[in-house]
Amino acid sequence: MTMRYGALLGGSLVALALAMLAGAFWGTAELPWDERLKALILAPDAQRNLVLIIWEWRLPRVFMVALVGGALALSGVVMQALLRNPLADPYLLGLSSGASAGATAGIVWLPAAFVASVGLPLLAFAGAMAAFLITLGLSFSPGRDLDKLVVILAGVAVSLFFTSMSAFFLHLADPHVTREALSFLMGSAARARWGDLNPLLVALPIACVIVFFLSPMLDAVLLGDERAVALGTPLGALRLGLFSLAALLTGLSVAGAGIVGFVGLIVPHMARLLVGAPHRRLVPLAVVLGMIVMVVVDLLCRTLLAPEELPLSVLLALFAAPPFVYVLRRARRGL
Amino acid sequence: MGSEALAEIRNVSLWKGKSRILDDVSFSIAPGRFQALLGPNGAGKSSLMRILYRAEKPSSGAVHFEGRTQRDWPRRAYAARVGALVQEAVNLSGLSLRNVVGLGLLPLSLSRGEADERCMDALETVGLAARAGEDAGYLSGGEQQRLFFAQLLALDPEIYLLDEPHNHLDLHYQYVLLEAVRARGKTVLASFHDLTLATRFCDRAVLLDHGRLAAEGPLHDVLTPERMAEVYRVDARFDDGVVRITGAL
Repeated sequence: MTMRYGALLGGSLVALALAMLAGAFWGTAELPWDERLKALILAPDAQRNLVLIIWEWRLPRVFMVALVGGALALSGVVMQALLRNPLADPYLLGLSSGASAGATAGIVWLPAAFVASVGLPLLAFAGAMAAFLITLGLSFSPGRDLDKLVVILAGVAVSLFFTSMSAFFLHLADPHVTREALSFLMGSAARARWGDLNPLLVALPIACVIVFFLSPMLDAVLLGDERAVALGTPLGALRLGLFSLAALLTGLSVAGAGIVGFVGLIVPHMARLLVGAPHRRLVPLAVVLGMIVMVVVDLLCRTLLAPEELPLSVLLALFAAPPFVYVLRRARRGL
Repeated sequence: MGSEALAEIRNVSLWKGKSRILDDVSFSIAPGRFQALLGPNGAGKSSLMRILYRAEKPSSGAVHFEGRTQRDWPRRAYAARVGALVQEAVNLSGLSLRNVVGLGLLPLSLSRGEADERCMDALETVGLAARAGEDAGYLSGGEQQRLFFAQLLALDPEIYLLDEPHNHLDLHYQYVLLEAVRARGKTVLASFHDLTLATRFCDRAVLLDHGRLAAEGPLHDVLTPERMAEVYRVDARFDDGVVRITGAL
């Protein structure tokens, strides 16, 4: 690890800690600063309602968006490397449309009480994983390695199918019940509690370690499929394993905070601009940057129009547009 | 086929849909030889190369390397001993030249110092050492081809598979790089369209035509005027180690 990289990663971790602290301190409730601090450090004379707000509402939410940001950034790194496509993102395998269809179906067909409690995230996750498995099934031919072009085309076909299913379900639904689904699908971690963090808390560190140790193979894929195979990379197994991992992380992210676009697309490029393409350096930095971006955007969503909350996707789309155009221009130049 | 063969291609056929790309091809690769793989466009040279570096599985037949079938070799161990210069356009943006050459050492387990030494030696050979830290995304086609030569030279496998190694290279580097490979004294199988270059470096040749083995043996025995007329559709003869082409037929 070079000095510059160490400083960059260390600085990013400090920035993440500060962003998370800010996420815990700021919110829609106007509170005195010293009271906020007392509540955060669980001082004996802290106000009970403030402790509740910070420890039971804000902190789980801050941790959830951080985990979702890290998971989506890691998925984006993996998808862009495996497909050697700078515009690939975690939702490319039909995941977001599958999640939308799952959530919408739940709202239309299942009891409102179940959907309002745990049903919506669960159904969104189930929809995302169903879409992924169908994409994989369509892409797989016995005895042949997974072809990246076939995977992309299968993902597009599955997306179209689930998008039309969502539209069909919404058409059947009562207009009043669609609002909650739309708000969830535009991204929000407002309902996150400590227990909701567990799946990503387990999956993300394990995924980071797996991808970190497979980094040299991902680097080899950047040289082209033929060269990667000639260098001994088991390309088919690598694609199958890491697509599944990315789908799992994305599905868990959808379950945690709804559909959050652009983080998985843009953050890997931000990290690449700072440390280049080798994955040993890229993976840790992209995960930390993904966390920072999500924590900051969530904070802005909560505070900009307080007491109203903006959906995560609205601000992310706004901030992501300029770097997206930059990436697009680089891709068109073949750089 | 002699028992001293380093690799043997036995009755290899390859089908793509209803097209037969390779048809019952058999020949052996003797150690230490610089062997040319010749044939016109669509003869099956690149497909055969892809089978040899395991990017493609033959529909029937098998490749044997050092007495074991290809599938009995662990991928990494095979890649350490059979290295390939492949034809595939790619965007190397974000990787330094040193990164790219270093990835060629993936099949080996080397210390950091040894890997650095091999990479810099190889970059020196291809004339890119001074640019080792630069972004490889800005290289021209010829420079990229030199970089992939460096990657292969750093690995230094037992068999060098070179698929049209002269692609994008200027005349100087065509000779310099093939000479550098020859200087390693390893076994080489290289596909060529440029017969002058093939005659300069190769002592033996395998000639493919429409996926079939048309001839195999010493270069002057393979490149007879009749075969060149039949396979390449040119009026040519092989004189004093040089192919003289007088025109197309």
